[in-house]
Amino acid sequence: MATTSVTRSAQREIDVRRSVRNQRINSAAIVFVLVLVSIIVLWPIVHMVAAAFTPGQSIAQMPVVPFTAGLTTEHFTHLFNNTNYLLWFRNTFIIATSTALATLVLASLGAYVFSRFTFTFKKSFMMSLLILNVFPSFVGMVAIFVILLRIGGLDTLWGLVLVYLAGNLPFTTWMVKSYMDNVPRELDEAARIDGASSFRIWARIIVPVCKPILVFLGITSFVTPWMDFIFPRMVLRSPENQTIALGLFSFVTDRNNFFTTFAAGALIVAIPFIIFFVLTQKMLVSSLAGAAVKG
Amino acid sequence: MSTLTAEQLGGRAAIPPGPGRAQLVDPRRVRLLSFLFMGLAHVTVLKDRVRGIAFMLVELVFLVTLPTTLGMVGGLITLGEPQPHLPIRERPNSLFMMIDGVMILAVFAIFAAFYVVSVKSAAKLADEINTRGFPDAHQKRFSAVADRAFPVIGLAPTFVMIAFFVVVPLLFSALVAFTNYAAPGNIPPANTIDWVGLDNFRRLFGGNQLWGSAVARVFTWTIVWAFLATGTTYIGGMLMAVVLKNSRLRITPLFRAIFILPYAIPGVVSLLVWRNMLNGAFGTVNRTLAALGITDAAIPWLTDPNLARFTMVMINLWVGFPYFMLLITGTMTSIPAETIEAAKVDGATDWQIFRRIQMPQIVFQTMPLVIMSFAHNINNFGAVFFLTGGGPNVGDSVTTSAGATDIMVSWIFNLTVNLQQYHMASVLAIMIFLIIAPFAIYNFRRTKSYREGEI
Repeated sequence: MATTSVTRSAQREIDVRRSVRNQRINSAAIVFVLVLVSIIVLWPIVHMVAAAFTPGQSIAQMPVVPFTAGLTTEHFTHLFNNTNYLLWFRNTFIIATSTALATLVLASLGAYVFSRFTFTFKKSFMMSLLILNVFPSFVGMVAIFVILLRIGGLDTLWGLVLVYLAGNLPFTTWMVKSYMDNVPRELDEAARIDGASSFRIWARIIVPVCKPILVFLGITSFVTPWMDFIFPRMVLRSPENQTIALGLFSFVTDRNNFFTTFAAGALIVAIPFIIFFVLTQKMLVSSLAGAAVKG
Repeated sequence: MSTLTAEQLGGRAAIPPGPGRAQLVDPRRVRLLSFLFMGLAHVTVLKDRVRGIAFMLVELVFLVTLPTTLGMVGGLITLGEPQPHLPIRERPNSLFMMIDGVMILAVFAIFAAFYVVSVKSAAKLADEINTRGFPDAHQKRFSAVADRAFPVIGLAPTFVMIAFFVVVPLLFSALVAFTNYAAPGNIPPANTIDWVGLDNFRRLFGGNQLWGSAVARVFTWTIVWAFLATGTTYIGGMLMAVVLKNSRLRITPLFRAIFILPYAIPGVVSLLVWRNMLNGAFGTVNRTLAALGITDAAIPWLTDPNLARFTMVMINLWVGFPYFMLLITGTMTSIPAETIEAAKVDGATDWQIFRRIQMPQIVFQTMPLVIMSFAHNINNFGAVFFLTGGGPNVGDSVTTSAGATDIMVSWIFNLTVNLQQYHMASVLAIMIFLIIAPFAIYNFRRTKSYREGEI
């Protein structure tokens, strides 16, 4: 009896020691992985930031160790004085804002109708929304080009807004509709009994109640145009109608490499994005996970 | 579109349909009238003038424009005869004929839908009148009528946008696959386009050595790429999520913030930075390797076909792992802590807890998003275009413009923007349809609305 209990306690001690040692190895491995991945993640980012402040023009002139070849802000002044950067910024801002606003108005109206009314062809319409959702809109690129040519929307900002809007609608309408289905009907029915018109109910009850999903979708539709390339490239031709993505791309084509100017321009756009994502990471996690669970 | 039936509220059964009650309108007569001319039944028997006149106007406009619209459909069939003696501006533009024809077909479909709606609405209205009597003056006020029109007004912009900017383009590009719309010989307005049947399909699938092998290569790489891109980012993301979860360091949130950076930086920016850094001759990567004394050779990261494919997958891992990391972190927090505590009490090791409890949960919950991510990667234009531009060239690239790292969508982009080979691009677009269709169906069946029988 006694001997077995002694061996047992000895055994336990060895177990504890082993697990402490394992834990140390584990922690060391974890720290190693974290640091290694951080270096890989940060390396190109640091190089980009450094390039924005380093004298010179192309990537070939950039030092191997960032920030070791002098500091300058000339790329930023060059960007604002000698290129159309501000114009690109303004164009992109107009496109992104109008797309987001138009998407929200149309999607919330459509979603309200889908969620609260019954009508002929409702099922087939909803089915086509879902199916169109999956097809990337640029497979119809040539046709969109010709349609815009036909209605005079080529090389205009509103033409591009129409393209984005149409591309957004199936998905956003569906998302808002699903959200609205979970909002109790009593809310708007009470208003209807009080004699409110459908439009009033939409504006005063539905839109405020659906604010969370509308904010989320508003942000996503605002963000996409900033970095989209295919459609601006196709629709916008004249130099005064370019967007940020087109402009940045033009700095680093194969023929001429203005990497430092590109880095300066990219930095200005990327910083708001980064601040936003880092600040909202908690919300991002929950909304992503929500999408995973609910579908 | 929609009937004008607003949602009916309580008080529906105010007057029960008594068995001996005389019918106010004859349903068969209503049906006949509504079939005869759109809105006729509304105006005459049903006394719903506003809606009836609206319907009649729709049919009137349709009939008046019918000669023109039929001509447009005719144009879609002939696509115009070549008339080289005319100045270019006056030659028949097959492209416009085609797009007009497709749009008119969409208008015809909408008109047919209107007809169905009007007939159904008449029948429903007749039914309502027979059970509850004619609507009183209160319900006929302008505001009430306008309110009943709300669903139509609310949905019309969405409907028009989707019809003309999503459905018509898809139909159009499907049709282009059966024409010879391509440079140099058939580009409107100088020349016309003709229907060529299945010629393009024959050329791509076996008829032509160069094109056939390019299709096979690009198709295979698209699928392999989608598997590798999804798999690496998923595994990488899961690994980092688990490591962060088990890290007891106080600065763990800092690491988490760092790892989100690739997700936060716009893809165009980070991919273009990588493209420059990976440049074989003067890129930072090769110069760093040389400075560290690892190798002096210029490694052709983006110019050797197989190495370029490998680089593409690795850079995509850099760009894409934070998405799954965030996602999996979220799912892990939703696993009840008691389950894990219980396993610990039973003596399970960390590995066992991960392998037997956490991983099955994570995989189960994130599977739908993995599948959608696979579909997204099939169409991941940016990952190819900004990093490698589709290159490097291989044997058939000069003719087909398909480089070693091109996937279907980037090839379509090259074919339309650079080579103007619209007919070939459309065949590829149809192929993408077929590849994506299972995902569309999957996505569809997964929705709550489908599972609850709403659609």
